[in-house]
Amino acid sequence: MNRTAPARAAARRLPLWKATLLVALQELRGSFRDQQTVVYAVLVPIFLYPLIFWLLIQGSLVIRGRAERTEVRIGVAFEAGAEPRAELVPALAARPGVAPSAAASGELERVEPVQASGTLPEHAARAWLASAGARTPDAVLWLPAGEGEPARLFYDSTRRRSRLAKERVSERLEPLTRRLREDAARASGGSPLDLVPFEVQEANVAPERDLVAYALSFLLPMLLVVMCVLGAFFPAVDLTAGEKERSTAETTLLLPIPRLAVHQGKILAVCAAAVLATALNLAALGLTAGHLMGMLRESLGVGFSGLPVLALLSVAPLALLFAFFVSAVLTGIASLAGSFKEGQAMLGPVQLIFIVPAMAGAIPGVELSMGLACVPVVNVVLAFRALLQGKMLFAEYAVVALSLCVYALIAVRLAVRLLSREGAPLASETVPLWRVLAQLRSSGGSR
Amino acid sequence: MSSIEPLTDALMRDAPASIEARGLAKVYADPRRGTVSALQGLDLDCWPGEIYGLLGPNGAGKTTTLRILATILAPTSGTARVDGVDVQADPLEARRRIGYLSSTTGLYPRLSARETLEYFARLHGFEGAALRARVDELIEIFDMRPFADGRCGALSTGQRQKVSIARAVLHDPPVLILDEPTTGLDILASSAMIDFIESRRAAGACVLFSTHILSEAERLCDRIGVIHQGRLLASGTYAELAELTGKRWLEEIFRALVRGAADRKGEA
Repeated sequence: MNRTAPARAAARRLPLWKATLLVALQELRGSFRDQQTVVYAVLVPIFLYPLIFWLLIQGSLVIRGRAERTEVRIGVAFEAGAEPRAELVPALAARPGVAPSAAASGELERVEPVQASGTLPEHAARAWLASAGARTPDAVLWLPAGEGEPARLFYDSTRRRSRLAKERVSERLEPLTRRLREDAARASGGSPLDLVPFEVQEANVAPERDLVAYALSFLLPMLLVVMCVLGAFFPAVDLTAGEKERSTAETTLLLPIPRLAVHQGKILAVCAAAVLATALNLAALGLTAGHLMGMLRESLGVGFSGLPVLALLSVAPLALLFAFFVSAVLTGIASLAGSFKEGQAMLGPVQLIFIVPAMAGAIPGVELSMGLACVPVVNVVLAFRALLQGKMLFAEYAVVALSLCVYALIAVRLAVRLLSREGAPLASETVPLWRVLAQLRSSGGSR
Repeated sequence: MSSIEPLTDALMRDAPASIEARGLAKVYADPRRGTVSALQGLDLDCWPGEIYGLLGPNGAGKTTTLRILATILAPTSGTARVDGVDVQADPLEARRRIGYLSSTTGLYPRLSARETLEYFARLHGFEGAALRARVDELIEIFDMRPFADGRCGALSTGQRQKVSIARAVLHDPPVLILDEPTTGLDILASSAMIDFIESRRAAGACVLFSTHILSEAERLCDRIGVIHQGRLLASGTYAELAELTGKRWLEEIFRALVRGAADRKGEA
């Protein structure tokens, strides 16, 4: 090939910011051509929540359907001397709100009452439940002889059918109990209302929107941290240890731009992937939860007027700073790994550094204060939660933003130092963590 | 060092050396081997329009030398200049004057050939029409049109090699550093690489390449440097090295130089 003078003439130095941006864009393009990154950063957020909610709904419908179709057997026994009640057995067989005849022939929530032959003492009633046989009841209702002594319902909480039987007995005896109480009141010449001298009806005055926001305020901040960490995880390993495996580290070191731009570009690319994953996760969960709330509006009695958009927008700057912090930490540590597999193994425990404080921050009762605003991870969780709950803590937000900024800058600086270690991008052996500090002290600046 | 003054091309000496290394040493800590002296005071001069072959066995210090010159590694002591630029003082400018190739090609597998060239062109400061023109020109020159939009990871070895060469010469560097460029290539690809190296010499560039393939060095190099255990044992034209050692074939020359070095070490 002949020397082309124009080629050399056209070449010129780039400003640092532009070089950083070009590296970040190239790394992002490469990352998003990697299946794992696409799955974790894009596909999981988009499809995971609708799938989880759909599975939950379908699962609960299946379980509920199975429960409704299950016929349970209730043993009815009386202690010697107890007054037998003829209305008990029909009441057990009848489904509340359904005519006895229809319930008897119906398919759902069927109860087969079985009366004990003769009277039974309490221990025998218990033993009946535990006995083996085709006609063994799932729960036993035992009426004692003593006046005013409550009836007992024996059931086994470790057996599904027994739990079902207990629920159905409780449900079906409640109207009978009420009717008997009212009959007794009338028989004594009083009013059934006299039996309820003081009644309390609960009324939640919180706006519907606040109810949903309150529920989301515990979920979304945790999700922000977890998804930011997961979103940064694969790109961080891919752009450092992965580069060693692809034998492209040498090429990257030879790029005609300052090394600082290369390292910053990598961190920026990891950060962009983390931000994308976080934003998609929050949006996908919010939209899916919103859709579900809309569907369940009537049955739950809780309304939902849409995503907490203002809170999401308000937390965006904090989330961005947090993403920088996470990305720099993960990228720096991943650069110590000799291979992709070792990088994954190395970052596994490191994720806990972020997730455990996030869990602590999600504990009800822990509120954003000036002190906690300086604690990394916890501060962003509490600030987001406060925003979702509509609390305006401007001074605390400012401290959170400032401290996140400081942590992010320190993390980026340390990550750049780790990435700048001579020969680090070419080393095929993982650097033990105990040697990191020594390497940080000895590593020079970026070339 | 049994250095011999090159006899050829006296005019070449009037121009400043394209590569100039003085007392290059590199010591590093290896987790398994302890402290390793990869280079022990290496001196080197390469001139424009010259092909210089660095010949040595595995572990002799060839790659370390090339990596120091390419600013990938910093020397423990000594100085190196590439096209007049001190690699320690201004590594960025040194990198801008180097085209580097290795046997692994080091191409980003998830980028296409065209994207690779565009990326490097942008980093070299090409923009707009100049960028497109340069990339198209290289695609034409290296006959890459059929696979220009295929991802590098899916290309054949020969195709990857073409992309790699195009990337290395994209900015028309005055110095080419090639680390065992023909290792792993088949006969046709090796032949194409040799043609390329010769074409760069014809274009006036300085080509420094490492190899342990004696025939390759014999055919291509204007001068040869024999490196062993981090030291340059001798440097000169093929004829000069033959005269120095009294041997005819490069293999014999190489063995004589290595044996001589071992004897001197034993005496010391």
